[in-house]
Amino acid sequence: MTHKLKLFILIVLAFCSLSSQGYPEETKPPSAPPEQKDLTLVRAAMCEGIEEYIPQNPGIVFPTTIGKILCFTAFDPVPEKTVVYHNWYRNDELITKVKLTLKPPRWSTFSSIQLREADKGPWRLEIVDQKDRLHKTLRFSVTD
Amino acid sequence: MDKILLFLSTIRWQDVFDIALSGYLLFRLYVLFRGTNVFRILIGIALLWFFQRISVSIGLIVTSWAIQGITAVAALIIIVVFRNEIRSVLQAKNLKSIFWGFPRGVTLTPLEIITDSVFELAKKRVGALLVLPGNEDLTEAVHSGITWQGLVSTEMILSIFWHDNPVHDGAAIIQGDEVKEVGVVLPLSHREDLPSDYGTRHRAAAGLAENTDALVIVVSEERGRVSVAKGTDIRVVRQKDKLREILQNHVGVATKHWGRIKKEKLELGVAAVVSFIFIAGVWFSFSRGMDTLMILDIPIEYMNRPPEMEILSTSANAVSLELSGSGALMRSLKPDQLKVRLDLAKGAVGANTFTITPENVSLPPGVFLKDIQTDAVQVTLDVPVKKEVPVQIDWAGNLPGDLLISEATYDPQVVQLIGSKRILDKISTIYTEKVFVDSIKESGTVTAKLALNPASLRLAPGSKDRVTINYVVKKRDL
Repeated sequence: MTHKLKLFILIVLAFCSLSSQGYPEETKPPSAPPEQKDLTLVRAAMCEGIEEYIPQNPGIVFPTTIGKILCFTAFDPVPEKTVVYHNWYRNDELITKVKLTLKPPRWSTFSSIQLREADKGPWRLEIVDQKDRLHKTLRFSVTD
Repeated sequence: MDKILLFLSTIRWQDVFDIALSGYLLFRLYVLFRGTNVFRILIGIALLWFFQRISVSIGLIVTSWAIQGITAVAALIIIVVFRNEIRSVLQAKNLKSIFWGFPRGVTLTPLEIITDSVFELAKKRVGALLVLPGNEDLTEAVHSGITWQGLVSTEMILSIFWHDNPVHDGAAIIQGDEVKEVGVVLPLSHREDLPSDYGTRHRAAAGLAENTDALVIVVSEERGRVSVAKGTDIRVVRQKDKLREILQNHVGVATKHWGRIKKEKLELGVAAVVSFIFIAGVWFSFSRGMDTLMILDIPIEYMNRPPEMEILSTSANAVSLELSGSGALMRSLKPDQLKVRLDLAKGAVGANTFTITPENVSLPPGVFLKDIQTDAVQVTLDVPVKKEVPVQIDWAGNLPGDLLISEATYDPQVVQLIGSKRILDKISTIYTEKVFVDSIKESGTVTAKLALNPASLRLAPGSKDRVTINYVVKKRDL
């Protein structure tokens, strides 16, 4: 609970309308010695909200009336503390780049944007790690 | 003196050739149509034009308008009035007679044979009608001729008019050294002043001579008398020499009449000089009279583009040229007479600046370039390349509030685009045209075209231009 609170305060201060948040899915370190596996994205989805680490109403078309959309990402394993970036593009133009911290052994996190009338159109979100490796591209549209 | 030298230095060899050629053509028109009514009518039209200018200058509105109307249809009048003359010139056997020869000189009519034959016919009291055409075409004046095309000889002429010959009643037309037609019916004269002893044959001779410039020889069957009709004149000829002289005058041989030849040569010489002076005057009034300045925007033509490159953009599509020339020439300028060409052979990928110089400008004769107001044109060239880009659906519209499109699969997911490198470098996604969601109520399939933007982009062969989309619709968790 303490971690969640700290992260929330940091996000509000850093991004104002943009937000990002990490969820340690397991706070305890693993009992077995960690295997040196690559950082792996196990789930990524655009959604309207997140409850209990589960994306709500995942989809590809979002009306501006819902006010906000999120990109939920889950990594397993996370070999070491690292960062990933959520790059938000609208019509091939980079709108924002959100830096998110991941911690071992596995981590879920998200970023979000507030929707305005001017945001209508085709979007894509690229999930890129510290080594500039593209893990996934999510494509969606913001409509009336 | 300096002014004269300066003026002469501006005359090009093309100008000299232009005046010489046009002057010669005018002279040839005179040679071909002299002796006809053409010149009288042309003088009439020129006078009409002159009066029209006067009436304009002194403000006679209706008169000038009426004369202008008449001169405007002058071309039509000329064609209608001179149809026979025009036809006879155009029906000439060879180009030489149109461009070089002198119509009267080339006629080699065997006058001696005709004279002998006519008096032989008269001696034998055989009636005959012989027509020697002048410059005018006789086609519309005569009827029912039978084509003969035999070389003129005494025996031939005697046999044509022999009593038992079926065509002996008609006239024979002799052109050059050929009997062209026989059995020809001539128009009869309705004159009342002809002698009472003149029969149908004489009236026919008088009729044709009155209506055309042909000469007609009549041999009287009853009296064995030879008569000649030309114009309104018809007279008896008793001696061979006199007939020969009349015929020589008609066909223009007149070898013994040096005075007449001299006169004719003088006439042609004067005509030639007048033609050249007239054309030179027209040329100077066109090319040197009243300098007029004009600024025109001329489209640029790009040439010799390297085949592997494309023109991506240009800073200007037209060049403003300041031109000068005589008012008449400038007013008659047509856009396709002016060209601005840019050679792209040395162009490289990227922005190229080309300076417009007078060498790039092509103008018609008599029009001069004063200034080029567009100094330079920037042309951006690029090499077309292929690039594989992912496809994305451009959803639009208003989905019912309780529904959401949770996922969609589509085909193709990537396509190959061909376009300029500079454009493709900036493109990482190709979108479909807008796919509206307003009427969607459940999962389904829809197709959409790819939106190629900018239009210079095209799909590589084998890439689909339509995308098939399978979408899944779910109820929204509220």
